[in-house]
Amino acid sequence: MIDFPKPELELSRRQLLGAGSAFTLAFFLPGKAAEAAGASSAVNSWLSIGADDSITLTIGSSDMGQGASAGLAQLLCEDLMVEPARIQLKQGAPTLASPAPLGTAINTVGSGVTRNNYWRMRDAGAIARETLVAAAMARLGDGNRANYQVSNGVILHSPSGQRLSYGQLAADAALLVPPSSAPLVPDSQFKYIGKPCARPDIPLKVDGSAIYGLDVRVPGMVYAVIKHCPSFGGTLAALPATPAGALALVPTKVWAGTGRGAEAVGNTNALAVVGVTTWDAWQAAKRLSPSWTLPASTAALNSSQFMSDAQRLMSSATPYVAGAANPPGTLYTVERSSADANAGLAGAAKLLEASYSLPYVAHACMEVLNCTVDYVAGQRCEIWAPTQSAKSALALVCAITGLSADKVVFHTTYLGGGLGRKAELDFISQALQVALVLQKPVKLMWPREEDFAHDQYRPMALVRVRAGLDANGYISAWSYRNVSPSILGQRGVPLGASGDSQGYEASQALPYAFGARLTEWVSHPSTIPVGFWRSVGASINTFAVESMLDEVAAALGQDPYQFRRARLSDPRWIAVLEAAANAAGWGSAPPAGRARGIAVGTAFNTVVAQVVEVANNNGQPRVTRVWVAVDAYLTVNPGSVEAQIVGGVVHAINATLYGRQTFANGAAQVKNFNASRMIRLGEMPEVKVLIMPAPANADRSRPIGGVGELGVPTFAPALANAWFRLTGARVRSLPFNPNATMGG
Amino acid sequence: MPSYTLNVNGRDHLVNVSSESMPLLWVLRDVIGLTGTKYGCGIEVCGACTVLMNGQPEKSCKLDVSSAAGKPITTIEGLSPDRSHPAQQAWIALQVPQCGYCQSGMLMSVAGAMKAGHHGSEIASEVKNVCVCGTYQRIKQAVAGL
Repeated sequence: MIDFPKPELELSRRQLLGAGSAFTLAFFLPGKAAEAAGASSAVNSWLSIGADDSITLTIGSSDMGQGASAGLAQLLCEDLMVEPARIQLKQGAPTLASPAPLGTAINTVGSGVTRNNYWRMRDAGAIARETLVAAAMARLGDGNRANYQVSNGVILHSPSGQRLSYGQLAADAALLVPPSSAPLVPDSQFKYIGKPCARPDIPLKVDGSAIYGLDVRVPGMVYAVIKHCPSFGGTLAALPATPAGALALVPTKVWAGTGRGAEAVGNTNALAVVGVTTWDAWQAAKRLSPSWTLPASTAALNSSQFMSDAQRLMSSATPYVAGAANPPGTLYTVERSSADANAGLAGAAKLLEASYSLPYVAHACMEVLNCTVDYVAGQRCEIWAPTQSAKSALALVCAITGLSADKVVFHTTYLGGGLGRKAELDFISQALQVALVLQKPVKLMWPREEDFAHDQYRPMALVRVRAGLDANGYISAWSYRNVSPSILGQRGVPLGASGDSQGYEASQALPYAFGARLTEWVSHPSTIPVGFWRSVGASINTFAVESMLDEVAAALGQDPYQFRRARLSDPRWIAVLEAAANAAGWGSAPPAGRARGIAVGTAFNTVVAQVVEVANNNGQPRVTRVWVAVDAYLTVNPGSVEAQIVGGVVHAINATLYGRQTFANGAAQVKNFNASRMIRLGEMPEVKVLIMPAPANADRSRPIGGVGELGVPTFAPALANAWFRLTGARVRSLPFNPNATMGG
Repeated sequence: MPSYTLNVNGRDHLVNVSSESMPLLWVLRDVIGLTGTKYGCGIEVCGACTVLMNGQPEKSCKLDVSSAAGKPITTIEGLSPDRSHPAQQAWIALQVPQCGYCQSGMLMSVAGAMKAGHHGSEIASEVKNVCVCGTYQRIKQAVAGL
């Protein structure tokens, strides 16, 4: 048997960092005072400084390549006054405690890790530093703080010239009560914040030693491969015989809290085929032809039906009524100005109308869904999952096994991409169900075809925009209506009068002079499971809004950049728009055979403008250059910001040009990369990222923006706008090239 | 149960497998325990499973173990003992990986192109591996110096 790999990235169980002579600090979520950790409170050991001068930081966010955990370490280092390279990062485990102590797993969603923890990390670093300084003061008998200076974890007592390292003071500091607050390093003296910083996970990702969920190996483990009912909503008709070559066959059902849309809780919608290797299990699964029972409604789950439903609902949806059932097909009012938009449209000198449609899109993370479980009946459960939702997953483990949280050892592994899909728990619930039956360690994997065909997709959408223009070319009325399936509705969240925030985000409260405005959202009845796909509703609404504005500008014969600039009121929007336009040389002619398009938008408190330059490659767009200006208010690691924005642009290129999932009889039609083209190295455009300058002194009352998802929303409209300028053809339906393939 | 001797990273491994058509990828990962080589698509499109066989890049997800037996195979774990391969060095210097899942295959494809005597933009046009994170810009910068 193969040895379990050495835990070189000890994605570890709760660690007792506070033992012996170490100084540990724990910090709780806002509203709670910082507290000194007792000697060994497991989940509270968060920042630990050892007598050997080691500094260990336990961070609970999930690493899917965004570099957020490393960014938090960088923040801590600024005020702790140590070099980031000295920090040993540990993966924090989840806890069911509420509020969750910092360092324990948090759900890594909404581009939120850095922006939600920026000040907390800085405060923690400063408090730790001052506690260590207090220990030095006591040791040296000089209580005058002005006599001490800190440099890279060494405290210098200037009058005596004595130096004490943090490690030398750790044991003393452990006995002190840390102050509730401590002064931060002034922005003008930053050594680390705002500067590129090497990520500690990178070396492990160039030699194969980083352990992703799919790489977990446990002594005695077996391998399971999932095989779902091809159609959403089906349930197993009869349990087939265990196929040749398989060790076991385990039916799995849709667990409470993981059912979406047609996937009704309690339905046995999949079989796990168990083998001695992944390949053996998979081959056995291929030999299996189970019989599934489909509900009558399955026949309506097809792409043409979805579009005709959307078109019908665009004009005939029933308005929301407070207190009523408001089933799918309800029209919600997101935003309505006191001036009547419909009257404004009726009285406009000129009326423009356009409809935009977007398809379902799969996440297609590079690492397929998987989860490993080692369960001993009634005693313990150890689980390894590439999850964005360790906290929710822990609760699921307890629910399925009946064990209390203290009997569960939870490992968040590296994620081979997350993109929102690994925030879901369906694959984890399946692995647990299989482990309960097998009573031995098991790794469950979704083959790529299952990963494509049983996703929780970016919702399809049909958007209609009407713009009324006055005699001077100003927009006097704006009416926006988006019909799309509800992400929150499929999760049982009651929708209020404004509908699903995930569906309408980035369509409302736009800082454009629109005159009278009406923004509406209609819940589409499709039960294809939908979920959070990088930038969520912003990926849909920014395409429609920024395409329509371009259409209005074109109808008026105005420059699309100047047209926007003249109608924007928010200085942040104007600044990023200007920055992107200037960098792209907007006023100058593009190279022969190319054209540029522009778009601006917001998500997660960040404002982004993008200019895309495009060439015509035999009737299809070839993206040649992209300029992106980003205002997230504050930047921790500009290298990570650049990587995330560029990566988001690539993600958006793939989705805008090629991305779509279609359905027939409830079954997904695109099942692998060969039918879902993505660009390759040789097609990569040159992407220039412009990070807006940091403020001289950051104001902690101002919201910090997210970055991870922000490369996506403005790309599609900027490309469509560029393509229009190049060819005169207005693309209102995505993707550009639904029939593209890539071999295989 | 067929058995084969595989030479991986300079070391012989005697493996017992259920079928001579079991792909090298799963033998490496599940039988030998070298998990650096990744499963991505299983249809030779994405390249996450790329290894070197006889010094040339091969996608291991559909490569029968029987046809790999006896031939020198290099996986990401054997590219260098200490991350000193020039491509690994460039990847670290330019902070290329994001999620990192595709990078084993990416690096093996690049290493194969280098073994074939190719440089810079030749490598960039030759390597067809898919990176969903979209790290291509930094990869282009990294291979420019190789």
